[in-house]
Amino acid sequence: MKLDRRFLLRGTCQGAAAVMALPFLDCFLDSKGQALAATGARIPTRFNTFFYGLGLTKALWVPKTAGLDYETSIQLKPLEPFKKKMNVFSGMRVLIDDNPNFQHWSGVGACATGISPTRTSEFDSKTIDQTVADVISRGTRFKSVAASCAGDPKQSYSSLGGANTLPAEATPLSLYTRLFGPGFQDPSKGDWKPDPQVMLQQSVLSVVAEDRKRVMQNLGASDQARMDQYFTSVREAEDQMAAELKRPDIVAKVTIPAAPEEMVVNNALPNMRKVTPLMSRLGALALATDQTRVFNLSVSEPGSQIFVPGDPLGYHQSTHEEPIDPILGYQPRVAQYNVYSMELYAAFLKELDVIPEGDGTLLDHSLVYAFTDVSFAKIHALDGIPLLVAGGASGRMKTGYHIAGDGSAVSRVGLTVQKAMGLSIDGWGGGSMETKSPYTELLV
Amino acid sequence: MRKKFVFVISAFLGLAVFGQVPALAAGDSEVVGLRRLTEQEYRNSIADIFGKDIVVQGVFEPGKRVGGLIEASTAILSITPVGFDSYSKMADGIAVQVTSEKNRAHLVPCKPKSASQPDDACATQFFDHYGLMLFRRPLTGDELKSRVKLAENMTKASGDFYAGLHYGLATLLQSSEFLFRKESAVPAGAKDYTLDPYSRAARLSYLMWDTTPDAELLRAAEAGELNAPGGLEKQVDRLMASPRLDVGMRAFFSDMLELDTFDNVSKDSLLYPKWSVAMAASAREETLRTAIDLSLHDNGDMRDLMTTNKTYINRNLAAIYGVPFSFDGDWVAHDFAPQDGRSGVLTQVSMLSMFSHPGRSSPTKRGVALMEIFLCEPTPTPPNNVDFSVVNNTNGPLKTVRERLLAHATNSVCASCHTHSDPIGLSLEDFDTIGGYRTTENGQSIDVSATIQGKSFAGAQGLGRFMHDNPKYPACIARKLYSYAKGVDSEDVEPSAFKTAYKAFSESGYRMRSLLKNLAESADFFGAPAPAAPANGTKLASQ
Repeated sequence: MKLDRRFLLRGTCQGAAAVMALPFLDCFLDSKGQALAATGARIPTRFNTFFYGLGLTKALWVPKTAGLDYETSIQLKPLEPFKKKMNVFSGMRVLIDDNPNFQHWSGVGACATGISPTRTSEFDSKTIDQTVADVISRGTRFKSVAASCAGDPKQSYSSLGGANTLPAEATPLSLYTRLFGPGFQDPSKGDWKPDPQVMLQQSVLSVVAEDRKRVMQNLGASDQARMDQYFTSVREAEDQMAAELKRPDIVAKVTIPAAPEEMVVNNALPNMRKVTPLMSRLGALALATDQTRVFNLSVSEPGSQIFVPGDPLGYHQSTHEEPIDPILGYQPRVAQYNVYSMELYAAFLKELDVIPEGDGTLLDHSLVYAFTDVSFAKIHALDGIPLLVAGGASGRMKTGYHIAGDGSAVSRVGLTVQKAMGLSIDGWGGGSMETKSPYTELLV
Repeated sequence: MRKKFVFVISAFLGLAVFGQVPALAAGDSEVVGLRRLTEQEYRNSIADIFGKDIVVQGVFEPGKRVGGLIEASTAILSITPVGFDSYSKMADGIAVQVTSEKNRAHLVPCKPKSASQPDDACATQFFDHYGLMLFRRPLTGDELKSRVKLAENMTKASGDFYAGLHYGLATLLQSSEFLFRKESAVPAGAKDYTLDPYSRAARLSYLMWDTTPDAELLRAAEAGELNAPGGLEKQVDRLMASPRLDVGMRAFFSDMLELDTFDNVSKDSLLYPKWSVAMAASAREETLRTAIDLSLHDNGDMRDLMTTNKTYINRNLAAIYGVPFSFDGDWVAHDFAPQDGRSGVLTQVSMLSMFSHPGRSSPTKRGVALMEIFLCEPTPTPPNNVDFSVVNNTNGPLKTVRERLLAHATNSVCASCHTHSDPIGLSLEDFDTIGGYRTTENGQSIDVSATIQGKSFAGAQGLGRFMHDNPKYPACIARKLYSYAKGVDSEDVEPSAFKTAYKAFSESGYRMRSLLKNLAESADFFGAPAPAAPANGTKLASQ
C-alpha cells in the first residue's frame, strides 16, 4: 500500500493540526568522547540480524586458512574493511531430524531459532533477536525494529513464534516515520519537557488494557494465546509511551536527516543498492539514539528473488538452472549474485561503523548475526551454511577469526552470540541441534 | 437434528422477548472463533460506519495464505506490537476526524449542553451507538461506563467535550473487540455449538458484503430472527439482492485467485518495458471484473471462467493483448477471437504474470499455483530424504524449459511433484512472463502439449477445456467458499461439510448465487465444534 508522505510526517496525536518539525539532532560528544559518561549512562550493547537469501559458493567463500589473520576469500572481499571486527563460521551444519527439508526454509528456522522447523514459513519458537530483546531492550522505545530492503513487510525473520512474525518496515520512508516521526523525542532539545499528548494517549491505552479481564474469558486454548499476545502488544505500546515521556539521555554524535523521498523498493538490484544503505543508516541512527537496541534487516526472502535487470533468470532461478562451469567448478552467474549479497551486508556494517561512540564505533558496541537459508542453493543443501557475525559486543566478543568447519550444529553460533550479548542461558536450540557448548574461545 | 435446531432457536427467541441480549446474557456461551479483520474488511467497516470521507492511512499487518486463503489465517494470527502500534495510530486518526468540527454535526448523534463541559448523557449516546456498530453487538455496562468516564476526564482536562469523545472513540477502535470479529456460540446438543445471533450477523455480513453488519442486520440479530429459518432466509436474500454483493464476492475472488500476489511482483523493466505498477492494478481489476460479471451479473456457469472469451480491457492491457484501444472511458468489454489462443482467466495477464519470474515465464510456478487455486491440490512438500543432487547434472544439452523439466519428471524422486504441476504450466508456454502471446522462444517453436491424469491436450485452450470438465474444479470453488466464510484451512475440510451447498451448486448448473445462498442457509453454516479449553494454570505473558 502506498502511504502519503505528508500524512505520515504529521503528528497523529494532534490530528491534522500541525505538521511536525523534522527532528534535528545535532549534539556532539566532547573532544574525548565523554558525553555519554557525563550523562551517567553506559553505552548499551545492541543486537542486529542481517538476512540474505541463497547462501554463498563454497569454493569461493570459505577462507583457505583458519584462525586469526586468515586469508580472505573471493566472496568475502566486500567485507574486508570489517575483517578484524567480525568472525566467519564455515562448515556449520543444520540437522533437520525427522522434519521435511522445507526448501529455503529449514535453514532459516535453524539459524534463527536453533530448532529445525516443523512447518514451512513458521518458526517453532521465538527467534534469536526476540530472545535477546527480552533481555536488553527494557526501557527503549521499541523492543525491536525490522526492515525489508526489498519492500515486502513479510520479509522479516523476527518472530514471536508460530505464525506471529513481526512485520518489517517496507520502505525507507515508513522506517523513518516509525523511528523519527511522531513520538520521537529529540535528545538535543535544550528545553525538553514531556509531551502532554503522550499522557493523553496513555489514558486511552489504559482503558483498552482494562478490558483484558473480560476479554480473556470463555476462550479456547489457542484463542486465549492470541488474545494474550494482543494484550502483550498493548502493554508494549504502554512501555513505548513511558519511554517517550522520559528525558532522552543518549547523546550521540549523529544528525537525523530529513525524511527520505518516496522511492521504488523492489527486488531489482539497482534499487536494492540505493535502499539498503539508506535503511541501514536509519537503523543505525535508531540504535545510536537508543530508540531501539535490536534492529533486523533483510535484503530478500529465502530463495532470493533479486535480479539484475536484463537477466531473465534472476538470482533464484539461476541457482537452479545455471550449469556448473566445468573448468571453474562453480556457477559463475550465481557466484556474482553471491557477491552482491556480501556487498549489501558490507553496506549495512559500514553504516554501523561510521557512527563514533565512546572510544569506538556503534559496530564495536553491537553484534550483527548474518544468516541465510541454504549453503549450496542449487540443491537446497544445508551443510556448511555460512554464518558471519560482526561486531565486538562492547568487548565481550573476540573478533577477527575464521572458525573452520568442525561440523558443529549452527545453534552453537547462536548460543555464542547470546552469551556475548550477556544472556544468562545454558543452552539453546532443540532436537539434535540442542547445544550447551558455545565457542568459549571467542567469549571474553 | 432438526428438532434440536428448533429448540435452540426458541431459546433465543425467549431471551429476546424478555429484552435481554442473548449474545452476552447466555452464561454458557463460548468464543469459538476470533477473526482478525483483514485490511479490506477494516476499511469497508470504517467507511460504512463513519462515511467514505474518513481517511484510513496506515500499515496493516500482513496475512498469510493458509490452505489457499488469506481469510483462513485471520483465525490464527494475533496482533504483534508492530501491528498494534499501527492500529493504535489509525484509531486516533479516525477518531480525530469523526469528532472534528467539520464532521461532528452529522456524525455525533447529539449536541452537548456545552461544548466545553462533560455531558455524560450525550457521551453515552455516542458510545452506545458507535460501540454497537464497531463491536457488532451492544457494549456491556462496564465497557460503556469506562468510555464515558474517560471522556469526562478528558473533557475536564481539555475543556473540550469533543476531545472527550475523540479519546473514548479511539479506545473502541483499537479494542480487540473491534479488531477481531469474535464469534460466540452457545451449546446446541451434546457436543456442538451454534453461533449466537450477533456472531451470525457478522459472519453473513463479512461474507456477503465484506463489511460490518448494517443496522437492519443488527436489528434482526437483536430480534432473534437470524436463528429462525424464515428470518435467516429473508436476510440472506436481502444481502444477496444488493449490489454490495459485488464487494463481498470481489473480496472472495481476490483471495481465492491470490490476486494479492501482485503486491510483491516485480518485472524486469529492461526486458519488459511495458510492465508497470499500473499494469498490475489493471490486471487485477480485469480478473475481478470477469469473475464478478460471470458469477453475479450474468448468473453464468462458473466452469466458464476457464474458457470464456469475454473480458474487459483498458489501455494498459490492450498493449499486452495486442488490441488497438480507441475507446472513450477507462474500461471496455472485449471478446477474444479463437486464434488469440486465450482461455478464460487462465490466460489473463494476472494469472500469467503473477506466477512467473521477473524476466521469464515459469511453467512450474504456474502449474503449482493453478493446481492449488482451481483444483485444491497443493503440491506436497518434498520428503525428508530427497537428494536434490540427482537433478544437479543439468549441464548437458538441455536447452528448453520443457527439456529441463522433463528431466525432473523422468527422475523418480522428483517426478512425484513435478509430474503433478508441470504439465499445466507447459501448456501455457505460449505466453510470456507478462502475459503476451508468443509462438517461439529464443527462436525455437514452443511445444505446448501436455498430459495430465491420462488426458492429453494442447495449449491454453486445451487446458481450459480440461479444467472446465474437471469435476474437481467446481468442488474446489465450493470448498474454498466454505473455508473462506468459516475461516478454516481448506485442506482440513471434509467434503461432507459443504455437501448440501455443493449439491445445490451442481444442480443449478454451477451458479455462484446458488452456492452462496445454500451455504449460508445450510444447517452446518453456523455450527462450531466446542473449543479446546486452555490447560489449567496456562501462563500468560500479559498478566
